[in-house]
Amino acid sequence: MSGLRRRLRPLAIPILAVISAFIVGSLFLIFTDIPALQVLPTQPLDFLGTAVGNVIKAYAALLTGSLGDPTRFADAFRTPTPENWATAIRPISETLVAATPLIFTGLAIAVSFRSGVFNIGGDGQFVLGALGATATVLLLRDLPAPVTLVAGLLAGIVFGMAWGFIPGFLKARMGAHEVITTIMLNYVALQIVQLALRTPFMRPATGSEPISKVIDFVRVPALIPLPGLRLHWGFIVALIAAALVSYFLFRTTKGFELRAAGLNLTAARYAGMSAGGSIILAMVVSGALAGLGGAFQVLGTVTQMSNDVNSGYGWTAIALALLGGTRPGGVVAAAILFGALNNGGHEMQIETSIPLDLLVFIQALVIMFVAAPDLVRQIYRLRRRGPEGGAPVEEGAAA
Amino acid sequence: MTAAAAPANAVVPAASEAERRALQRARIRGIVISALGLIAFALASNTMNSEVTFKFWVVTQGKDFVQIQTTAGMFWILTGIATGGTGIWQLWRGSSTRWRRWLILWLPLWVAAVVSTLLTGKTAVLTNAFAGTFEYAFPISMGAFAALICERSGMFDIAVEGKLLVGACVGAITASMAIQWLGPDTGMIVGPIVGPLFAALAGVGIGVLMAWLAIRYKVDQIITGTVVNFGALGLTNFVYLRVLQTYTDYNTPPTIEKVDVPLLSGIPVLGPILFQGTPYMYIGWVVMLVLTYFLFRTRWGLRLRASGEYPQAAGTVGINVIRIRYRAMILAGAIAGFAGSYLSLHSAGSFQMNMSAGKGFIGIAAMIFGAWNPIGAFGAALVFGFADSTQQLLSQLGVDVPPQFLASVPYILTVVVVAGLVGRVRGPAMAGQPYEQG
Repeated sequence: MSGLRRRLRPLAIPILAVISAFIVGSLFLIFTDIPALQVLPTQPLDFLGTAVGNVIKAYAALLTGSLGDPTRFADAFRTPTPENWATAIRPISETLVAATPLIFTGLAIAVSFRSGVFNIGGDGQFVLGALGATATVLLLRDLPAPVTLVAGLLAGIVFGMAWGFIPGFLKARMGAHEVITTIMLNYVALQIVQLALRTPFMRPATGSEPISKVIDFVRVPALIPLPGLRLHWGFIVALIAAALVSYFLFRTTKGFELRAAGLNLTAARYAGMSAGGSIILAMVVSGALAGLGGAFQVLGTVTQMSNDVNSGYGWTAIALALLGGTRPGGVVAAAILFGALNNGGHEMQIETSIPLDLLVFIQALVIMFVAAPDLVRQIYRLRRRGPEGGAPVEEGAAA
Repeated sequence: MTAAAAPANAVVPAASEAERRALQRARIRGIVISALGLIAFALASNTMNSEVTFKFWVVTQGKDFVQIQTTAGMFWILTGIATGGTGIWQLWRGSSTRWRRWLILWLPLWVAAVVSTLLTGKTAVLTNAFAGTFEYAFPISMGAFAALICERSGMFDIAVEGKLLVGACVGAITASMAIQWLGPDTGMIVGPIVGPLFAALAGVGIGVLMAWLAIRYKVDQIITGTVVNFGALGLTNFVYLRVLQTYTDYNTPPTIEKVDVPLLSGIPVLGPILFQGTPYMYIGWVVMLVLTYFLFRTRWGLRLRASGEYPQAAGTVGINVIRIRYRAMILAGAIAGFAGSYLSLHSAGSFQMNMSAGKGFIGIAAMIFGAWNPIGAFGAALVFGFADSTQQLLSQLGVDVPPQFLASVPYILTVVVVAGLVGRVRGPAMAGQPYEQG
């Protein structure tokens, strides 16, 4: 019993943080419910009923959108055709599809935080990875599809690495603050993407939208052989990447040096470790992960490069890294949670016409609560953890 | 630095080693700069015949004008002289820092030369381009001031972007509500005052929240900044889509019109550029001057800077560092929120999603570029504003340059500056470090 409690304790703060964020989010939902607000002066009880009802409806749509509708599952069991199964499983499949890029970028940020480097540039590394993959695939389209695919993924890694290397190098050699350089490089990356999307090489034959040619001639194979399910092997690769990152950080000498540099750079330097090397390595690994995430996004999920392919993954990734306590396993769990939110948000938007952007706000609140564990403890009157418990979340926040 | 770590008898050789390397670096720099000068001369010989006409309005738009007809080659020659001169001087004297002052002379010349080459055979109205520069520079410079106050007090502030966005949204809504509630006549007068005021208050709210999280709960200041930027984007988009899109009455604020400054707006050529703008522009100048004075000439400024450089020392002599940091965050929030209202109230006439579009981050860039000094930051904001304004000028005149080139200039320049490639600038030592009041 007490063993179980001890194991669950580190989860208390993240779970309460998510709950608190949703509560604050619902307050904003209630106070922007103009039709309901209009009856407030005359029938305050009616207002409360309608507004709270709308919130429950919205969050219910969020849940069925992300996990699936029970009635559809019942249908699938009664008449087990592939189509019925596909319909039932689709929400979960889509949740995992949405989680895939988040796992990659979340891991990227977690590696950098562990090493004491604040990589805010996940966005830039992600889009350039996607751009590199798209360009490579377009360039090598005449080669056999598997070769093109692998080349595209490698290009994603290389582009992401390069975009991570620049701020890493500038910090290690010139002392340039990585937060500033990565933010600026995010914008430069977006400009590069827009510039590239103007070239005839990338652009489709018709139209003036900032999108690339469709690159569905190579595609990451689907994971579930049912019609219309988009879940692809990128998700499995993401899980493998998480395992590798975990092994690298906690079981190898280099990983130990990175974490040492993250905890105390001066001490690491006195212990004879190369501080500059750790910074560059951390940024390169971080960039490679984000870039690979971008490559899988265009080659597996959206099959087309556009200038909004990133949809803020680099920023969400910061939330993920903190929520997961900068541990790869925690990041995967947090990414699946956020994937569920983003995917369920679409359902919510369709059913209740509540904008998806609410979830961006809720995610920001989650970061805030996770980063301020004392605040959460104060709200819920939790006792401080004893010294034996360790504090994985705070480690991440302090990195 | 090296001298402190080395034993006493090794001090002299270590210093001379560093000196030798500095001299070598200065030589390389001299050669590079001279080469740039030669390139300018080479370009001059190709562009001696490409004519450009620049036009300035004397007092009123569209009436009398003065016109200057010249060739792009002339600009390239001047650029070549200035750049080559700096290079040769650098080689001769081997100075390590003083060459940076000359940057101020020859960088604008390079820009002028490139722009005039692009404008070959066209007539450009520069009054509008320069006035536009000041207009574009306003939110950037105010963002820079906000970040500057925070960083001088020892708080990191990467949330300028979020504050601008929330300021824009709140400003538009409150100014529209003034019209809704007070009727169009009174609302037209009250709205333009209420909007910016509430925008500033919203900024203050965010500043207090950030300071509270960072000081009371010791949340990393980069994380609080990220929370604000990310949350502001989500929240304002949410409010726009859920409320403002349907109830457009709440997103039709009165626009803040341009106001001529009496007397000064009548100065030929300069008047239309400097003194026929929106009130925001004039407020920006006032903020710059007042901030400079307060930061470097008053007790408040000294204490603010002390708590950013060495809070322990400041605390020891009895300065309340925590209070100073709270106040700095409040002031910075007010400035940034106020600047946000400019975005939705000056000409756009409504709030749009993500309308700050990275201006807050460019503001931080301007702060770094201006070496954490209000006047420097304002100058940097003008440079970035000029990039924006030139982009518009070129596209109006049908010059086909991908706008992405000019748009990425501020970001790349910032990376270059932060990396110390053009001489190192140094921010407050303890920015971003939590302080434990004893």
